[in-house]
Amino acid sequence: MNETGRDAARVKAPGEAPGPGRGARAGWAGRVAARVLTVAGVPALLVLAWQVYSSLSENFYVPAPGRVARAFVETWFSERLLDDVLPSLARLLAGYALAAAAGVGLGVAIGLSPRLRAAAEPVLEFFRAIPPPVLVPLIMVLAGIDDGMKVLVIASGCVWPILLNTVEGVRALDEVLSDTCRMYGVRGPSRLRHLVLRGASPQIMAGLRQALSIGIILMVISEMFASSSGLGFTIVLFQRGFEIPEMWSGILLLGLLGYTLALLFRRLERRVLSWHRGRGVDRA
Amino acid sequence: MRKVYEDRGVEALREVTFEVDAGELVCVVGPSGCGKTTLLRCVAGLLPPTAGSVRVGGVPVTGPPPRMAVVFQEYGRSLFPWMTVRQNVELPLKEKKVPAGRRNELVAGALAAVGLADVADAHPWQLSGGMQQRVAIARAVAYEPQVLLMDEPFAAVDAQTRADLEDLILALWRDLGVTTLFVTHDIDEAVYLGQRVIVLSGSPTVVMEDLKIDLPPERDQLTTRSLPRFADLRGRLYAQIQRARGDR
Repeated sequence: MNETGRDAARVKAPGEAPGPGRGARAGWAGRVAARVLTVAGVPALLVLAWQVYSSLSENFYVPAPGRVARAFVETWFSERLLDDVLPSLARLLAGYALAAAAGVGLGVAIGLSPRLRAAAEPVLEFFRAIPPPVLVPLIMVLAGIDDGMKVLVIASGCVWPILLNTVEGVRALDEVLSDTCRMYGVRGPSRLRHLVLRGASPQIMAGLRQALSIGIILMVISEMFASSSGLGFTIVLFQRGFEIPEMWSGILLLGLLGYTLALLFRRLERRVLSWHRGRGVDRA
Repeated sequence: MRKVYEDRGVEALREVTFEVDAGELVCVVGPSGCGKTTLLRCVAGLLPPTAGSVRVGGVPVTGPPPRMAVVFQEYGRSLFPWMTVRQNVELPLKEKKVPAGRRNELVAGALAAVGLADVADAHPWQLSGGMQQRVAIARAVAYEPQVLLMDEPFAAVDAQTRADLEDLILALWRDLGVTTLFVTHDIDEAVYLGQRVIVLSGSPTVVMEDLKIDLPPERDQLTTRSLPRFADLRGRLYAQIQRARGDR
């Protein structure tokens, strides 16, 4: 290491005097170009492959990317944004928030009580193992086919990873830290806020992250059953009406939506867990 | 204080009886695994004794007493990683409902006393081990305890830091007059710090010796440790501990 460092210095020392400035600038431009290529390269290739395939084949169900892009703009930059996209998002957020509140609340209670945990854990694992989409027909019967049903479907699928991760996080709270709280009279709501929730926050965030992707899936599925609005409903409608580019554009929109939500979530997570990341880096 | 403690068939402490006067600094030493930490956790009210009792100022301990502070060995685990140094020191005072003005004064005073005033806004994991333990000490000091318990607080820091921290504890103890129980496995440390040293036997644990340290009250890393009397006391304690280990 040291040896190579000295070698490099020796090579550079007698080097061309005007070199470094230009070299550094070229290096910077090169790095930017490399970065753009890394980020945009694979998507560009995929679109290109799609273009080539659609131009070679006469397949009616695989329209050219340009055609889908046009359909995207025509379909979604319209009243559909208000009539379908926003209601879908609102139901997703409502169901997700409900699941977060229930999952964290119950998870903290179960995590703090060994007896409750022993009693509840097998049942929780069972409920978690049920694929959430099969609950849609059941919840339709129980709760009707309105918004409430869809929110309930989303919540019932999202709640399990949040709940189980919260239980795990609360159970793994540091004993020394817990003793410290006892010694210094940190109890009740204050203990919950300063010790339990913060201490379990890495696991809680992991649960919330898993729940987000489950929520998006359930949002679409719940709308594919009895529904009159929403993204899932619209995509099925297009498919049945043989409006193939429009159907593709809906899938594209869902992809973008999921991507954006995941990005937003990552930002939130960075803020909430800045201490956790810092500690990790420190240890490494 | 008197206590007998048995734990799930494992007898951690058979009969440990001793008293600590108000304002005294007493060290507890013993071979490893003799239940020093158990003893301290009982005194702190974190564990109930099986028989006997712990009394602080005549009042039996049933849970953590209100005016008692602890510095644990695991400094990395006793500080809140999501709080800054200042918030760590301040939290117990908030819980005690100390008014904001007085709180700021206490926090600033305690951080200055341990020499950490300039890192108040850092997070614990950004600091070295010795500095983290000083944060824990500052938190204890700001709490204004009557009794301070320390559980091998310097076992995990390097030698130089350790010497500095020992002198810090002596200075704080002298300034505040707080009754201090200091658990350690290091005989030199016990002799250097203590007014008295209590030697525990190996398990089943009893008090083997209660030794008064008749060194001059002003202690110094260099001169105190080279006094012939220091060597005497140290040798005597060392022999005791060897015997304690041999008995097992």
